[in-house]
Amino acid sequence: MRKYAVIYRSVLMENLQYAMNIAFGFISYFIFIYVFICLWNYMYASPEELIAGYTKEQMIWYVMITEGMWFGTRSGTVTRQAATDIRNGNIAYLMNKPYHYTLYILTKYTAEWGIRLPMYAALSISMGLTMVGRLPGFRLVSLLATLPVILLGITINAVFKLCISLISFWIEDSNPFQWIYDKLILVIGTIFPVEIFPAALQPVFRLTPIYTVCYGPAKLVVDFSWEKFLEIVAAQIIYLAVGCGLMFFLYGKGVKKLHVNGG
Amino acid sequence: MLTAAKNQLRVCGLSVRYNIMREMLNRVTFLTNIGFMILNNATFIVQWVILFHLKEDIGGYRMSDVMLLWGLAASSYGLSRILFARAFSLPGLIINGKLDAYLVQPKNVLLSVITSSTNTSAIGDLIYGFLIVCLFCFSVNRLLLFTLFTITGTVIVTAFSLLMGSLSFWFVRADAFGDNMVNCLISFSTYPDGIFQGTARFLLYNIIPVGMAIYQPIHIMIEFDGRSLLIVLGYAALLTAAAVFVFYRGLRRYSSSNLMEVRQ
Repeated sequence: MRKYAVIYRSVLMENLQYAMNIAFGFISYFIFIYVFICLWNYMYASPEELIAGYTKEQMIWYVMITEGMWFGTRSGTVTRQAATDIRNGNIAYLMNKPYHYTLYILTKYTAEWGIRLPMYAALSISMGLTMVGRLPGFRLVSLLATLPVILLGITINAVFKLCISLISFWIEDSNPFQWIYDKLILVIGTIFPVEIFPAALQPVFRLTPIYTVCYGPAKLVVDFSWEKFLEIVAAQIIYLAVGCGLMFFLYGKGVKKLHVNGG
Repeated sequence: MLTAAKNQLRVCGLSVRYNIMREMLNRVTFLTNIGFMILNNATFIVQWVILFHLKEDIGGYRMSDVMLLWGLAASSYGLSRILFARAFSLPGLIINGKLDAYLVQPKNVLLSVITSSTNTSAIGDLIYGFLIVCLFCFSVNRLLLFTLFTITGTVIVTAFSLLMGSLSFWFVRADAFGDNMVNCLISFSTYPDGIFQGTARFLLYNIIPVGMAIYQPIHIMIEFDGRSLLIVLGYAALLTAAAVFVFYRGLRRYSSSNLMEVRQ
């Protein structure tokens, strides 16, 4: 584990140098959230109205949390870098290093969002408090309990995105598959809570990674309950185990297909 | 004069053609990129089905109007990334001093630069835009107007990207600012303008050109107005002139990195 801790620390230190560049991304996040504030202000006829069981404040905070997680963990490491390493053959040099390649990529990615996510969280909270108001019924204890759920959600997402990148062992460009995965997460779990969809579809969505990646953490922040917490953590543990199993399987199969052409 | 313009257009056409042919070397990847981009855009239909299920009218738009909005945004952005993809990555060339290869060519520098790259997946965006019009709100007049506004939208989006990209001639971190402004244009262009009020509305019609690239054309397609059409055409011409002027002013400040490289 020490080698991964060293990788984590060095990437974290490297990314600290680029904090200013990360801050430039705030403009896009601000615009995105502003659009959604305008949209939900329009959709709610009165402040007391409930849509799918959510008040206007809860709905906007939900979007701010999921989008904050989205922007705060956005990095090309598990997608572009992993796919490029495979496509250009760089993986041949990385696979014989004294670490497991997939764990190296995941550690590097974790260190990257280790800087970005707290910055976006601070921005989300300041924007929420000034533009939307306090979240009704919010308790600090529930946020502390939700923190591990957020971390697990981000890790599950990274594992699945890395699995998609590993498809590059068989096809040249895995990017289109990343788009579809991203859009499903965005449309079904990020900009809307699952409850807004027809009742017949909700059980299906609860079986997908969307439930554990974005819906679960955001739902717990806006409307915490211990029952929901245990249900989401259990689903996350299952998804993490399945995702890691798939990741090691794809990597193991993929590296056997490598051809060394010299150069 | 006319022959020179014709030759220049021919060179631009050939440049785009060879860009696409290069991308087509791997046909499966080429087709997958296009097909998945169409699918990628189509996922947002779910978002609007849900929203219109909650309310019949959103910012004065019905479902077919929002589809038209999405279609025009996708086709305008798509065509600009097919023909002028390099306008979106201009800061990289300026900051790294990689404009040399274009400066020594006997043709127009600006057109040579912006037509030197093509984004394959943008073909999917363009196809998606026309598919949407044909499926949700087809009429011959509308299709003709849609084609015209795809061209004006392409010109406006490209000119705006060029304008933002050219800021890198003067400012070091202008690339991040420019990217954010272009993303901003894309984010706003897929939501009805009726939900934005006050300052936001003013900005969308005056600073970020999404009003003239997307919203105004949608209003014209829903209810034709000749005067508005002329305003859109005039705005596209003016913004292009401003972008070209700023690019060439900035080019005077350009300094090479003396990098020896072969253009692919």
